[in-house]
Amino acid sequence: MRKKRVVITGVGPISSIGMGQEAFWNGLLNNQDHIREHKEYIGKELWETFRYHKIENFDIHQFGIDRDKLKRIKDWKEGEENEDLNYLLASVKLALDDGKIKNTNDYRIGLVLAHENIGLMPFGLKISGLAYDMLIGKSAQVLGKKDFYAVFYEQFIKSGYDVQGFPNLFHVTQTFDIKNFSLFVNNACASGLYAMETASQIIKNDQSDIVITAVSDHSDIYKYVWFKEIGIYSEKGYMSPFSKNADGILIGDGAAGVMLEDYEHAQKRGAFIYAEYLGGGFDLENWKITVPQIGSQSYQSAIKKALQQSSVAVKDIDVLCAHGVGKKTIDGYESKAITDVFGKNPKDLAITAFKGYLGHTLGASALLETIIILLMMKNNKIIASKNCEDVDPQHHLRLVEKTKECQIKTVMKICCPFAGFNAAVLLKKG
Amino acid sequence: MKKEEIVKEFKKLLVEVVDVDENKITGDAHFFKDIGIDSLKAIEITVAIERRFKINVRDEQIPQITTLNQAVSAIEKALQEKNA
Repeated sequence: MRKKRVVITGVGPISSIGMGQEAFWNGLLNNQDHIREHKEYIGKELWETFRYHKIENFDIHQFGIDRDKLKRIKDWKEGEENEDLNYLLASVKLALDDGKIKNTNDYRIGLVLAHENIGLMPFGLKISGLAYDMLIGKSAQVLGKKDFYAVFYEQFIKSGYDVQGFPNLFHVTQTFDIKNFSLFVNNACASGLYAMETASQIIKNDQSDIVITAVSDHSDIYKYVWFKEIGIYSEKGYMSPFSKNADGILIGDGAAGVMLEDYEHAQKRGAFIYAEYLGGGFDLENWKITVPQIGSQSYQSAIKKALQQSSVAVKDIDVLCAHGVGKKTIDGYESKAITDVFGKNPKDLAITAFKGYLGHTLGASALLETIIILLMMKNNKIIASKNCEDVDPQHHLRLVEKTKECQIKTVMKICCPFAGFNAAVLLKKG
Repeated sequence: MKKEEIVKEFKKLLVEVVDVDENKITGDAHFFKDIGIDSLKAIEITVAIERRFKINVRDEQIPQITTLNQAVSAIEKALQEKNA
């Protein structure tokens, strides 16, 4: 059997700087970031104020998704909205439209969804509210322990189940009538890269001719509180990866849909090909959830495995898109891995970091940034690394400072996420 | 393991990981301010502590270990919990 090649034939970005390919690209060209201050109230009490990259005026009905299908989701959720899911639906629809897939039944299509913590916020707020009401209303004492447990279960069951992957996978496959092998993956911020590799393997194993990968993240109070607690939220209010003034992250709303396809299948139907997915490298630290294992060679190993899988030499890579979270320790861990493989201040390698535009969109970040790479290849331009003009010399890196015309052939996207699920993938323009 | 042994082992470990003058490592000397250890090296020290003493240092404890006394106290506690 011939060895299948996998290409990318559709993209669907949803971000704070633009939804859909054109708006997203213009947002990048216009150096936008759309950071807004958010005040989280519980009743009339202010809980926290924080800045984040915010999507505004999002309406799930504006993407041309079958309204009856959306009604089914609403019925299941008894009217409760979940932006994590809505973003996934929108990004899948945009990717299908961009890939010129009108009727999914005409093709063998699979789906790989990913999210870092889907549905956590509606679940958390609901359960907190319920617990508060019951305790204040003294219902707990009146009900007795068993009945308290029973009422609690009944009240939050839908939100509780929706924290898991499978109902969301179901909603998306049902909405777009996707019937082939489908999966929900969760590898923290590297989820998008694991999703692409999974999609590639599904195609290579001849389970599907096309696989849509989609990731999303809706910013919320819980993520802010967690990141602030562990000291990685930016006090200065914007992200500046690898810079002298780097002090952490801002979260951001975002989603990305990327369509992978068997190369011959894409050619046969005359699809536009953004790039070939050459392969990925993955290496797990198995150390801590929130702290990288400084001193290990895990990240370097992920990068080297990607090169090996793709049969690409270090010298052949034009652009490296870093994870770039703007936290000194993580930036240091990342720059060490980069310079170990590519050398200090590599001359012929353009290094980029995009979170200054989008914030950290967590599980969505790697795939959303992959879309930037694909659009750079398509438009023959390299996008500047926003807020990275004053790089800390200890990193021994130079980042792309100005958006400019550029012929880009081979790009590596890397990611060193929570839990040490290190990943790297390679893309090549045909 | 006795406290004196932990102190001795930890100092040895610190010298190995960060190549620091052992005389500078006093109980309250701050790793960052007084010994010139940066936040990356501090994490590398935790990796070495876990290996040497075969204990688990919780994620949230890592930024709190900034002196010899804090490190020794965290190691003692973890060893006690492990042997409980």
